[in-house]
Amino acid sequence: MGRPADPALTSAPGGGRIGELGRLWRTFSRNRVAVLGLALVGLVAAASVGAPILTSRSPYEQRAQERLQVPGERHLLGQDTFGRDVLARILFAGRVSLLVGLGSVVLGGAIGCVMGLVAGYAGGYAENAIMRVVDVLMAFPSLLLGLTVLAVLGPGLGKMILAIGLVLAPAFARVMHGAALALQRREFVEAARSAGATTPRILGIHILPNVLGEIVVLASLWTASAIRVEANLSFIGLGVSPPTPTWGNMIRDGTPHLLNAPWLSVFPGLAILVTVLAFNLLGDGLRDVFDPRLRE
Amino acid sequence: MRHRLALGMALVTVALLIGPAPSWAAGVLRIGQNASDVGSLDPHFATTTQDRSLVDMVFNGLVRYKPGDGSVFEPDLAQSIPTPQSTGGKQVWTFQLRKGVMCHPTDGVPSYELTSEDVVYSLQKSADKSRSAYAADYAGMAVEAPDASTVRITLDKALSPVLFLPKVANYSGGFILCKRAAEKLGANGLKTHPVGTGPFMFKAYVPQERVQLVASPAYFRGKPQLDGVDFRYMPDLSSRELALRGGQLDVANGVPDKAWVEKMKGVSGLKVDVFGVGEVAVLHFRTTASPLDKPDVRKAIAYALDRDEFLALVGRGIAENVYSPVPVRFLAGGLTKEEVAAKGLDYATDREKAKKLLAQAGFPNGFPLEMVTSEMTGYRILYESMQAQLAKVGITINLKVVDHSTMHSLIRKDANPMVIYIAWRPNADVYLTQFFHSDSIVVTGKKPNTNFAHYDKIDGLIEQARTETDAAKQVALWKEAQVKILEDMVAFPIQYQNQVYARSAAVDYGHDLVSVLALYPGITEKTRLVK
Amino acid sequence: MPKYIAQRLLLSVPVFLAVVTIVFLVVRVIPGDPATAALGDYASKEAVDALRERMGLNASLPVQYGRFLRDLVRGDLGMSMITGASIRDQIAHALPYTVELTAVSILIGCALGVPVGVYTAVRRNRLGDYVGRVLSLTGLSVPAFYFGILLILLLAIWLQWLPAVGGGASDDAVDRSRHLVLPALTLGLIMTASVARLARSAMLNVLAQDYVRTARAKGLRERAVRLRHALRSALVPIVSVTGIWAVSLIGDSVTVEVVFARPGLGKMMVGAILQRDYTALQSVMVVYTGFVVAINLATDLVYGWVDPRIRH
Repeated sequence: MGRPADPALTSAPGGGRIGELGRLWRTFSRNRVAVLGLALVGLVAAASVGAPILTSRSPYEQRAQERLQVPGERHLLGQDTFGRDVLARILFAGRVSLLVGLGSVVLGGAIGCVMGLVAGYAGGYAENAIMRVVDVLMAFPSLLLGLTVLAVLGPGLGKMILAIGLVLAPAFARVMHGAALALQRREFVEAARSAGATTPRILGIHILPNVLGEIVVLASLWTASAIRVEANLSFIGLGVSPPTPTWGNMIRDGTPHLLNAPWLSVFPGLAILVTVLAFNLLGDGLRDVFDPRLRE
Repeated sequence: MRHRLALGMALVTVALLIGPAPSWAAGVLRIGQNASDVGSLDPHFATTTQDRSLVDMVFNGLVRYKPGDGSVFEPDLAQSIPTPQSTGGKQVWTFQLRKGVMCHPTDGVPSYELTSEDVVYSLQKSADKSRSAYAADYAGMAVEAPDASTVRITLDKALSPVLFLPKVANYSGGFILCKRAAEKLGANGLKTHPVGTGPFMFKAYVPQERVQLVASPAYFRGKPQLDGVDFRYMPDLSSRELALRGGQLDVANGVPDKAWVEKMKGVSGLKVDVFGVGEVAVLHFRTTASPLDKPDVRKAIAYALDRDEFLALVGRGIAENVYSPVPVRFLAGGLTKEEVAAKGLDYATDREKAKKLLAQAGFPNGFPLEMVTSEMTGYRILYESMQAQLAKVGITINLKVVDHSTMHSLIRKDANPMVIYIAWRPNADVYLTQFFHSDSIVVTGKKPNTNFAHYDKIDGLIEQARTETDAAKQVALWKEAQVKILEDMVAFPIQYQNQVYARSAAVDYGHDLVSVLALYPGITEKTRLVK
Repeated sequence: MPKYIAQRLLLSVPVFLAVVTIVFLVVRVIPGDPATAALGDYASKEAVDALRERMGLNASLPVQYGRFLRDLVRGDLGMSMITGASIRDQIAHALPYTVELTAVSILIGCALGVPVGVYTAVRRNRLGDYVGRVLSLTGLSVPAFYFGILLILLLAIWLQWLPAVGGGASDDAVDRSRHLVLPALTLGLIMTASVARLARSAMLNVLAQDYVRTARAKGLRERAVRLRHALRSALVPIVSVTGIWAVSLIGDSVTVEVVFARPGLGKMMVGAILQRDYTALQSVMVVYTGFVVAINLATDLVYGWVDPRIRH
């Protein structure tokens, strides 16, 4: 028997039917946590996408003579070791973090969901094989796994997404597997089967929509994890190449100056914190929305 | 009641943990070095700063660089510096060994007096490429021991003292090991257990943490004033800095960064030393591959680069601009700014001219280049600054950051069309031979070394200078060779970077600091802690 | 019970073997030549080739794998390619730092997390609950290395209460404990956040269940009801997920060791990756695997203990 997943994450799937969107939105908008999360996510996304509008400074322009200037009027968050504007770099770095966060979740989610659904539905030999691989991969801390995979792949944005996606896939697979197992014994699935529906059809039309709510919740929470893992990998020095800024590599480059220029590390860290928190809040709120048991 | 007891115990524990740091044994000098571990403490394989400084404390050479001033030679294990004799077209140097030099004792090998046998063993080891990283420097050299206290070195080709003495000095291949201990320990044992004749002897090695040395009571210049040296591996700058401020370290390796130096100078009870030798950063162009095979493109890059911008990243005084690959500040044979400017070879920044040259060469819109840099700050800031500077003339550099040793291995496989290399070499001959002699061309050379430019136009001048025994003529030849390098723009000299160390005011090195080849302040029997 | 333990132990073996195999394969594919890395700047091509031969890198993959397993069974982890020092000695030196860090952090996490979770559950939707939830979500969102940097800034640089970095002198217990405080707090508080969140939701689930209401109706004091009945049932999910967090804490310990320059396994691992030290990297990963398998095993055992149904 494997360890059960976090009940806070895998509570029984609720009735997330497409047709109930309106009701869901009403529930959602009454959930303060979810709304706050969504607002913060929107804010972070707007700040990174709209970076060129929000700042007139380039994240790449070096002014060596002005290096390590303290935050002030001309440079709100100060200047780094090359005299680059820290605020501009933080804004542009958000693009990398969001891209890696969302990209790896989409990739990992796709791989993982397919693995989990297939395993849960097919059963038998295939299920055993898939879930044993998942068990082995899950036995490893995601950071260690990401570190190892990235060490193999080498640096780069695409490789980072691939590495984190691969790390997340087993987690998606395990949850999808459990959900599929539980669902396929439910009456409506059995009814569809006895009515002669094909396997892909059952998977696509009956099972997937029923776990969609849960996927959305997980995707939001694991985007948060992915962004955190990205920051960790960049911090260790395995991230994207210079001069592209990421929050993780900004913190890393700031640590030698922790005593004389702490803002170099503190501000990018706050950006990570706010972003990860935003996705966690959103995911939390969404779970409350989708999970009737926890609703008031 | 039980709760209160637990709370009380918790408070005591907290108080114990937060209280003042425990004090250390007096008289042990604690040094924090910017490295994560030992590379090799076999002096003939010690190539990194952290290894060089340790072997410098444990071993001696026949002669030594005067502590704190690398431009002066003094006798070390030898009683005096001999004048060479020439016999039958060969040059002979005869050294009389000092009496009473004792080898450090080690497991199974008690202390014994060093003899010519040990010296011959060591220099032959230096010449053997399976047992030394410096074998190439010892080709054409025969070492023999006519008696227990005499060492005779015969050279196939005569050398000036400037070129010969470094081979038998306390640096690189010149270190003398104790034969019996070395043979007992074997090649692997030597890596982490150095046994020599110096002021300090090896006590213990804890991987990734420290190497401990203790004073050698039998040291021939007298018992060291320090009880020992605790050499800590602390690759993180803030940790070294905090430990120094907190009194857990006496000496810490700093960074060549003026902001840091100024800050540390302001801390009471601390002193900062900035001293030579300065390691020279030079940009080498691969002259055999398009588009850098066109001299105009290389000159365009030289005009596009601004030495002052590189300098601002480090800070004047910590680093200085250089105008020839051999640093004139420290070595005979370098060129001053005035000398190169007079010939129009200073390549003063002119980005318009750079663009014009690029357009002439057929690249009006620039071009992209792929290259790797080491993750080490010293390299990264130069590469990243170059990346930003060249972007202004349309040249895009796609930079990949790799581990330091990986960079070294990659650039030796021609991975980089432009290589920035930061290095110290003991004299102009070594600089020019390793970087610009055709034998040293990476990948394809006879003895591939660090000729990243694939340059082969000054072999004659280098060889002629090497065997020139008249010092003035030798310098003139070296200068001529470098003028040629600049005319062809195969290498753009950027700057030299000094060494930066901070110390507690209680530390007295026992000598003034001008320049030290081992790139650390130099710890000798005279170094002490003034309480 | 012994049968259950034996069964769990037996099940750990294939997992361990599988991960170790993955590690072996992954390490072999990492680009960069370890022999060149080992010999440094000045090495000649012949010397590099000789070292490759000596390190067994020229053998075929299956042969290397066979040797790897054989050495593993013997407990021989080989020599570092960089220093030539025994890796077993290096790990033996690093392991205590990582073990004491993770153990103390997990202890902090459980000791603080469970009470905070119970408290916020009991005070549901009151101020204490909101503060607790915000803090625990923040703790869940902050990258460990960044939290470590903040603690360094606060406690080591501004207040100067504690040493910021390093492992402390290996032979001085007080010094070592002082160096342990900040990194352990870093990981411990982050784990506290996760455990508290989980304990809260588990408690809420249980508190909503019938038998608690029954117990309350019987007139027992509310406090006793909560602690005795609710917590006992809530412990089941808490234990299982604490295991998951403990495993993820091991991942975080890598960057925390880097930030605090602790000479532990994580620092050794990052060093090995950066230095391309194959033998050291694979051995560290093997030890980590053992670590993770051990934590999973411990979780399973505690799980079996708190929930007797599992054993059958």
